[in-house]
This record gives sequence, C-alpha cells and structure tokens, in this order.
Amino acid sequence: MTLRHRGFLSATAGMLVLALVASTSAAPSGQPIRVGGTLALTGPLAATSLVHKIAGEIFVEQLNKKNGLLGRPVEWVLLDDQSKPDLARTLYEKLITVDKVDLLIGPYATGAIMSAMAVAQRHDKALFHHTFGIPHLAKYERQFPTWAIGPEPARTFPNLLFDALAASAKPPKTVAIVTSKFPSVHFMSVGAREVAAKRGLREALYLEFEFGNRDFGAIAARVRDANPDFLWMGAIGLEGNGLLEALKKLDYTPKIHFYLYPAPGPLALAPEGKYALSTTVFEEHPPFTASPVAAEYVKLFRERAAKAGMPYQSADTQAGSSYAAWQIMEAAVTATKSLDDKTLAQWLRSNRVDTIIGKVRFDGPNNYGDDLSKIKQVQDGKWVVVWPKEFAAPGARLIVP
Amino acid sequence: MGLALAAIPALRPPAFVESFLYLVFHWIALATSWTILSGFSGYFSFGHGAFFGAGMYTAATLAVTFGVPFLWTLPAAGVVAALLGVGIGAVVFRVRRLRGELFALLTLAVTFVLATIVLNTRIDGGPGVFLAAVAIPRIFASAASTIYVMGVAVALAAVGAAWIVQGARLGRGLFAIADDEDVAEVLGVPTYRFKLVAFGLSCFLAGVVGGIHAIFVTYVTVAETFSITVPLYVVLMSVLGGARHWLGPAVGATFVTVLTYAFVGGEWAVVGRAVVGLTLIAVILFLPQGLFGLIGRRRPGRSVPAPPAGERTVAAGSGLLSEAATDGSATAQRGPTSRPLVRCEGVRKAFHGVQALAGVDFEIREGEILGLVGPNGSGKSTLVNVISGYYRPDAGRILLDGRDLAHQPGHRIAGLGIARTYQIPRPFPRLTLLDNVTLAGMFGGAALDGGQAEREARRWLDFVGLADRASALPTELNLHQRKFLELARALASGPRLVLLDEVLSGLTPAEIGEALALVREIRRRGATILFIEHIMRAVVDLTDRVVVLNHGQLIAEGRPRDVIRQPEVVAAYLGKAYA
Repeated sequence: MTLRHRGFLSATAGMLVLALVASTSAAPSGQPIRVGGTLALTGPLAATSLVHKIAGEIFVEQLNKKNGLLGRPVEWVLLDDQSKPDLARTLYEKLITVDKVDLLIGPYATGAIMSAMAVAQRHDKALFHHTFGIPHLAKYERQFPTWAIGPEPARTFPNLLFDALAASAKPPKTVAIVTSKFPSVHFMSVGAREVAAKRGLREALYLEFEFGNRDFGAIAARVRDANPDFLWMGAIGLEGNGLLEALKKLDYTPKIHFYLYPAPGPLALAPEGKYALSTTVFEEHPPFTASPVAAEYVKLFRERAAKAGMPYQSADTQAGSSYAAWQIMEAAVTATKSLDDKTLAQWLRSNRVDTIIGKVRFDGPNNYGDDLSKIKQVQDGKWVVVWPKEFAAPGARLIVP
Repeated sequence: MGLALAAIPALRPPAFVESFLYLVFHWIALATSWTILSGFSGYFSFGHGAFFGAGMYTAATLAVTFGVPFLWTLPAAGVVAALLGVGIGAVVFRVRRLRGELFALLTLAVTFVLATIVLNTRIDGGPGVFLAAVAIPRIFASAASTIYVMGVAVALAAVGAAWIVQGARLGRGLFAIADDEDVAEVLGVPTYRFKLVAFGLSCFLAGVVGGIHAIFVTYVTVAETFSITVPLYVVLMSVLGGARHWLGPAVGATFVTVLTYAFVGGEWAVVGRAVVGLTLIAVILFLPQGLFGLIGRRRPGRSVPAPPAGERTVAAGSGLLSEAATDGSATAQRGPTSRPLVRCEGVRKAFHGVQALAGVDFEIREGEILGLVGPNGSGKSTLVNVISGYYRPDAGRILLDGRDLAHQPGHRIAGLGIARTYQIPRPFPRLTLLDNVTLAGMFGGAALDGGQAEREARRWLDFVGLADRASALPTELNLHQRKFLELARALASGPRLVLLDEVLSGLTPAEIGEALALVREIRRRGATILFIEHIMRAVVDLTDRVVVLNHGQLIAEGRPRDVIRQPEVVAAYLGKAYA
C-alpha cells in the first residue's frame, strides 16, 4: 500500500467517522416525548379529520428525521374520539392521567375541542388546537389556537371581506345574508350582518336555516327574488353546493357570492361555483409556499392525500392550521427547552411564532392575536387568494362578474 | 354495591377511570330508562334523544341563564322531560293505530320538532350553551368525581326503578301490553294509565341523565344533543342486553361502551369500528331476545306453589268461582236464576256504514248458560267485543247490576267481573302459561296480589289440565290446549260472567267433549256463561236458553230446542227455502 493510498484510506475513514458522528448527533435519542391527542378518525367528522391526521404524521416524521424535540424522538399518541365530544373528553382524561403524555394537541372540531379544553384546564395542561371556531368561548389561559382568526372574527373578517369588495370593480350596494345555525357559522353571519349595515349596504334578505338542511329550494327562491349584489352564505360543508344547485334550477346565478366554511373541493369543481369567494389562512401557492418548509409540506400533503384516497388533495386552511399547531408546539418547546406546561404557556403569550400560515401571537383576549384570514376565490376550478393583495396568488385579482 | 361504586373516587384513581366509568353509567341509565317504556311495553321509542335533550337544555339553561345551583337543575331537568313525555303520551296513547313503527316514527319526529324549537328560540338560538363557568359541588377531590358520582346515582336509580317496575303490577301489565294490548285491556290492565306512568318515569330518568351530561360535555349544542346517536345507541344497547329484563340494558350498555372504547387507538380505529359492528350484528342475529332472553323465562322451581286442594282462595270480587266444588262436595253448585245479571238495551254498532249491531235487546240471567248463535257475520263477536269493552257501542246501554258499561274502558269492565275468551286464542305469546293466567288474577275482577294470583293460576291450570305445562310458552301448545289456557285465564280473573267465543271451533270430537265438561264444571261453580257457538248440538246440550242474531238483530230467544225450530232461525242459517 502506497502512502498515497494510505492517505486516501485515512481520509475516507475519517470522513466516515465524521459522518457517523454527525448522523448520530442529529438523530433523536432517549425516551420519546409523547404528544397526545384525539381526532375523529371514525364517525361523521372523519373525512376532515383525515386532513389533520396526515398533517400530524408528516410533521412528526419530519421532526424525528431531524433532531426530534429537545433531542428526543416524538411519539404521537393518537386516539379515535369517534366524532363524539363526550368520548373526546374521556380520552383526554386517559391521555393525561393514564398515558401521561407530555404534551396535548387538540381534536377536531369545535365541540370536541371544548370538551378537551375543559379537561386540559382541570389538569393545568397546555392545549394546542387547530380548528376552534368560536374564540369568545375559549376561556382557558393555556389553550393556544392556531387557526388565527383573531378574538373578534365576527367583526374583523366581514370588514376584510367588505374591504375587498369595496375595492373591486363593482362594489355591492345590497346584500343577502343566508346562514346555517351551526354555532361557529351563525355568529359570524350575525357579525357580517352588523358590519354590512354599518358600512351602508342595504340588506335585501336575511335568512337562517337549520344545520343539516338539504332542501334549499325555498331559500333559493328567496335569494332570487331578493337579487342582491352580494350573497353571504353562512355555509358549512356542502350547504353551499346545495344552495347553488337550487339556484341553478331557478336559472339564477348569484352576482358576487361568498361561502364561509365550504367543502373546498366540491365547491371549486362545481360549474356553478365559479368565482365563489371564501375565507382561508393558507393556500398552496406563493406567497404561502415561498418558504421551503411550506413548499415541502404541500408536496408531501398532496402525496399522502392521494395515497389515502382523498378526493380533494389540496392543502388549505385545515391542512395549514393543523401543521402550524405542531410548529407552534415545537417552537415553544425548543425555545424554552422545557415540557412544562406553565413555562410553555408563558413563553407563547409573550412571543410570536413563525408558521406556514404566518406569524401568530397569543397575547390578545382568550390567547387570540391577529386575524390572519384572507379572501380566496374559485378561478379556473381552483382556489386562489385574491385579498389582501400582498397575499394574492401570482397574477390573481378579485374578479367581480 | 351503590356505595362501593360511589366510593371509587375515594381511592383516587386516575381521572380517566372516573370519566370512562361515568360514560358506562351514563349509557346504563339512558338505556335502562328507555326500556322501562319501550322494552317492557313494546312501544319502541326513537325519541329518547328528545327527552334526554330536554333535560340537557333545561339544566344548561337554568344553570347558565338563571344561575340556579347545578344540583337543583337536575330534578327540574327530569320534571321537564317527564312532562314532555306525559304530554305526548296523553295524546298518542289514546290513538289505537299509533303503535309499532308509527309510534317510533312519531317519537323520532318529536326529536326534530324539539330540536327546531330549541334552535330557533332563546333556549339556544344557534351558538350553543357553554357551561364551563357553572360551579359543581365537590364530592371527594374534584368536580369530575362529583359528575361520576351523579352518573352512578342516576344509573342505580334507573336500574332500581326498572327492577321495581318489572316485579310490580305495572311491569306485569306492561309486558302484557307488549304482547297484546287489546287483550291486556280486556283482561283488566289499565293500559292507558300504565303506558303513561311508564313513559313519564322513562322520560324523567332520561331528563336527569341529560342534565348531568350537560355538565360533563361542558358545551351543549343542538346538533350534538338531538342527533340520532342517542336513540340508536339506547335501542341497540337494550336489545343487545335484553329489552324485557330490568338488567338487560345495563349489560348491553356496558358491553357496547366497553367494546366501543376498546378500539380508540389511531391505528385500529376503522377496523375496530367494523369489529364492533360485526359483533353486534352477530349477537343480534343469534340472540334476538338479547343476552337476558336466554334466562328470561321463568322456571317452575321459582314459582309459588299451588294451594292444597279444597282451600278457598278466590278473593272478593268474584264470589262465585271457587274451589269448593272441586273436592266433590258440590256445595256451591248453582243453576240458572231469573235475576238478570247483564241487560243489553238497544245496543248498536256500525263500522264504516255496515250495521253490525242494529239495536240488540236481551238479558243474561245470573247462573245460566246462555247460548248466542247466528250465522257468520250476524254480529256475535261484535256483541262480545262491545260487552267486554273492546268496542264502544254507538248507542244503547249494557247494564250490569244497574250500572251502564257502554262507555267504560275494557279494564274497568274486567274489574267488574266480566271475562272473555277469543275465537282464535290470543294468549300473551312471550309469557309462560303461569304468567298468562296469573295476570288475569291480578288485573281481573279478583284483583289478587301477585302471590295469591299465582296460586290461583296454578289451580286453574290444574283445572284445565295444563298444570304440568305451567312454565311453557303458549306457542308450545296445540290449539285445544291454547283454548283451555284461555279458559283458565278467564276463570282466574274471578268472573261473574264468562263470554266464551267459539271455544269449540277447531277441536276434535274428543276435545269437544272435554271442553263441554269443563264448561259445565265452570257453571257448576256458579259462573254465568254466554256461550257463542256454531255447533248447534253442543248449544242444545249445554245451554239453558239461546238467543239468535242475524244481520245484527235479535231474531229469536228461548229454550234451545224450541228456538232452533223457529222458521226465522232456520231461514237465517239455511235460507228461506228451508224455513
């Protein structure tokens, strides 16, 4: 063996050792940090819960591929609350008192979060949650909502929407507000009604219907007769599609139409959903995907969603908020180097956290900060953000037919 | 046991244990409360969510809006739910056609109506009711322990209530209603009152359960509260455990809750739910009467023995049918008298324009066997139904000791000492022979207590030759045995008048002879008998007098051999060419 050869081998061995050392130091080790939570893996909310399951799995895998949390691997103890708030409550009791998880992440959706929050409060645990829709009910000081809609979304969001419409080519003068009486929807619609009145829009129609309604024929007739410049549909899930189909049967196309919490896929893909407006905090286009983290997440999410057979595979508000909840948890633990709930809560209430949905803060009423909502619109069969302008998809602007 | 369960928090288990056990007791209470009406009486309600929800919103509204201390809201929750149930029952139970699936659909509709009212009024209005700020008195260390103890208490109350009801007159009556409500009424069971009481109790318990659950979930919304989940689960749990047993729903609720909880792990959630569903399907397929259906039938060894022969035990109210003659002394033998026991005056009844009874006048004399004959469609069975209270006459009077029975409910008429059998036997199919006959003793004219009635029932089963089949079900009997069972049931009620509706039809000649001997024996003991029959030879042999109906009118009356020769009677049976 020549000196040259020996030198090459030594260098190679040295690099190998360095690589091994480097890889050893990056891999998390020790007792896993256990994050407990429930999702509606079965039952009526299972379809949307799958979004949160995929988001959480992606985040935990990414975390463990890096250095975990505090150098320890992270284990997600996920239980199925079967879409039942009472079972969610019991399972959070189990996670805290039997499984003794280190951290808590929230269930889906508002009812289950309320139940989980009460349990977390009894045990002084911090709760990170992603889809809570009624901020004024979130009284616990250690609950941290990711879905950044601010403490008064019923005031701030309608103003954002009417700002967007006022800046459009045809600012509406009349409004029809039609709303489901689903709790997290109803109060927003009531707020929109008040804001519209304050801004001088004439109310052509105000109509409430019960959640679960399937027959929109009569409602559609009232909307057609009112013929408003702008239709606010306080819809959740497929209610928006139901109204549009009923309007189509009456040969009526609403002028400017907005849907609060629609099923995004069906509404975007329906022909009558053209130019429909809605709210969002995250969409899979720049500037949201400008960060490598968001871009990578969107890519992975689409892959997993396709693999799971989800009909609509875009990462939007639910997927964005869900991922952000984990980011917030990671940020607090990393910054404080602690798993202590009190320490985490104190840090979060005095620091902003950079997430894929933007910078979030928790120093306002009920730990809510800024309303990061945006206005999106169906254009060419896809949702794109159109307002505020700085968040609009490249080349996109609010289209008013 | 109750104290032991309630004391679990003193052992300071993990909070989860209390929370999980609370859910078990919650479903036990809810399923058991459902079974008190629906399981026992067969009135399947899909509206239990309405009464549960009424309790939930009552407690939530009183505590949040009016600041009422939480514990005080619970009785109010029960009372509101009970009033709602009784109000609905008071209307629905009067309508004979609202049984079975119609009752189930109606109660389901009540749930939707109530949900709409709650959602569109200030009770909720849309945003839901949040109870986080409601103070809960602390038992043991935490508020969660208090909720658990309340759950245990209401579950024990529900199971205890079901146990008491099942063993009481109320329960016996409800089981009879479940099997054949019309027969139960004519046998003396106050069906309307019993259903109403059971419904009220069932709803009261559901309301209290709802009140407690409001504080458990903290946030009460219309969508969650009035969802179809509650009625579906309680029905499933009750049927699984055995809806006709006081402990069945508790077993079913425990089974389902534990099984549901067993598969909450994220990896197995969907598979687990499928396993739960398949298990339930399998149990329902192979145990249609539920787990307690296997042990629900009474065995002879547990029963009260028959009294020794010769002992007189038939209570006041009957006064006639006694054991006296069975020992051969025949001291109680009676014959016909001229004193009318029942007098029908101008009795009319029409069905959709068809005049079934067109002003019938006749009397049944005390101690006689009166034959009632006539061709098919002449109105014989209608007349029996009118006398026994199954139908109310359109006009006319039916006097018993001068008291008009025409508009009395069937159970009151039974209580006055009128019993009947059916042309096609209608025993309660899911009750043993002994229970069938015991019921008659408890609710008929005899009005005996349970023990006495059972002793009498054994005596009458012995009388008709069915003593050794006391623990059998009626479906195990042949036709003539079922006819004799009906006789025993009629006799056990201590009747003054027995209406025998074609008791001989379908019997073999040997069985007819046996039946005639029994009828003679019944009369020998002092009962008055209205004997409806087509077999004229038996009528002639057996009866003291005969009345003949044709087209709803009385066409002949008198001694049997005279009457059957009358041209009108011959014409009615054979046509005018033979008259």
